[in-house]
Amino acid sequence: MKTLYTPEIAVIKKVVPQTALETFFEIELSEKKILGHLPGQFVEVSIFGVGEAPISVSSPPTPDKPTFELCVRKVGNVTGALLGMKPGDKIGIRGPFGNGFDLNNFRGKDVLFIAAGLGLVPLRSLIWTVLNNRQDFGRVFILYGCKTPKEILFKEELASFESRKDVEYQITVDLGDETWGGNVGVITTLIPKITFDPKKTQAVIVGPPIMYRFAIKELLSRRLPEGNIWMSLERKMKCGVGKCGHCQMNQIYVCQEGPVFNYAKVKDIPEAV
Amino acid sequence: MKSLIISRRELTTLIDNLIKQTEVVAPLQQENFTNYAPLRSSPEMVWGGPQTVIPPKQFLYPQSEELLSYEFGGKGPQVKDLNRFKKRILLGVHPCDLNGIFQMDQVFAEKNKDENYLEKRKAVTLIGVDCLKPCSPESICSRMGGLNPKGRFDLFLTDIGGSYFAEAATPKGEEIIKNAGKPATAIDIKKLKQVRKKRDTLFNKEQKKLLPKLADLPQVMKKGINHPEWEERGQKCYSCGSCNMVCPTCYCFDVQDYMHINLVKGVRNRFWDGCMLEDFAKIASGENFRENRSERLRHRTYRKLYYLFEKWGESFCTGCGRCIKACLTNIVSPLEIANALSRKGKK
Repeated sequence: MKTLYTPEIAVIKKVVPQTALETFFEIELSEKKILGHLPGQFVEVSIFGVGEAPISVSSPPTPDKPTFELCVRKVGNVTGALLGMKPGDKIGIRGPFGNGFDLNNFRGKDVLFIAAGLGLVPLRSLIWTVLNNRQDFGRVFILYGCKTPKEILFKEELASFESRKDVEYQITVDLGDETWGGNVGVITTLIPKITFDPKKTQAVIVGPPIMYRFAIKELLSRRLPEGNIWMSLERKMKCGVGKCGHCQMNQIYVCQEGPVFNYAKVKDIPEAV
Repeated sequence: MKSLIISRRELTTLIDNLIKQTEVVAPLQQENFTNYAPLRSSPEMVWGGPQTVIPPKQFLYPQSEELLSYEFGGKGPQVKDLNRFKKRILLGVHPCDLNGIFQMDQVFAEKNKDENYLEKRKAVTLIGVDCLKPCSPESICSRMGGLNPKGRFDLFLTDIGGSYFAEAATPKGEEIIKNAGKPATAIDIKKLKQVRKKRDTLFNKEQKKLLPKLADLPQVMKKGINHPEWEERGQKCYSCGSCNMVCPTCYCFDVQDYMHINLVKGVRNRFWDGCMLEDFAKIASGENFRENRSERLRHRTYRKLYYLFEKWGESFCTGCGRCIKACLTNIVSPLEIANALSRKGKK
């Protein structure tokens, strides 16, 4: 009997190094089965003999394409092993898990994306969902911040945002180097650089846990209502099915009710942000 | 519910016959403690106390179990599900643990059905035994709602003096006693009521008092979120996780892969984990969402007396007292925490 914990076999189709730490993977499930995910959902990636780790799906849902994309930072055993793999290698996939972003909250609205560091990876699935259906949305802002220029992900795609007239794009690094001529400062320093209509704008923030407080504070000071702020929270999603307990913040199982949360709904949850 | 009267001698024969047919697991004496283990003959069983160190959940949700195995071949990994279960009878289960098992049934059957638990559960028959006196000085079952088994058994035995009042709540329970005993008479039922009344009086006298009303515990917990009691107790916590390991309603787990030395075969195991352990909520980047011991103690207590209590309508501390006994620094008692929160909270 197939249980909750049985992964499906998938094959790595493409491997593209992104930075010193991050690598991009294109994955195909066996029999070209479509993953059927929503933007913002995650999968549990198995490297047999090493273990399992939750990884955000980075590609937008594509009903006609049997592959999906992951971008993985080497931080632990599973991600370390994954980075040693090549096209044709087989891994296990469970999922997709989590609630993902509900597009009904964004259609017809201006959308402000705020991505810090690796936060761009899950956010990318929503960014491309929006850009692929550009006519359904108002203004689109993309703010992206990294520690240093060396850590910038998806450089070609960022260049395409820059050249698009229908995207207002800004990038910053915490610490520049000799190659860098752009903004220097943490991600929140980009927010004063844009003008948005707080009534029409839905903001989506994804980044390291420490960043939320500061980004939210900045957005609230610009009179953006609490209910217009969305976040994808990182927790230890070990099982993905609401049993193992590791991802719990207070009574909420993040792998079930999240990882996408509305700020107004979780601001009083002490362990949330 | 079908009720019968079974004499002590008849029950001994019945148990010995069950042992011949299937594995019967019961509390046995092991050096200076008791633990659930396969019963070889009925006199070995420990009736009443002391409470076993580890609750019977280990037979439904083992401390370590293989979820799947895999083998690398020419075509990549071949994965096989493992879901091992064994038909067995759990005999001598105290009411607190019957309640604990019922609560585990709920959480594992909820939404995403955990077949690894549920298949094992289906294969088990529960024979409970009424506690007529507190099984340990640490037990707080009468305060936490764990003393009444609420029909959460296949068969339940109460010693009414010389013979047992046997209640079968399921066909599985009825099957066991189908050829035994005699129908309960009005006198037997009266005796049962007297025994239970005496039991309740004794438990009420001997077990530590819970100051707030049981039903108010979620509110007491909610209000006490910033109470200094958490820090005071948390400072003494060793983060050893013993309270998690011995709890009949702790069900969090971790999963790990074990590769055979030939690097061809491997297994994926799940095993008990505990929210009191330091790295329980730590993610790969190093961020720890419950870094302080006081936060972890609060989380554990909140699960029992607040989150799961509110969700399922009853305390997830069944009052077995195991954590209180296992805690090396005497900080974990859900009852004492609830009392402290309500007492000082009123100021």
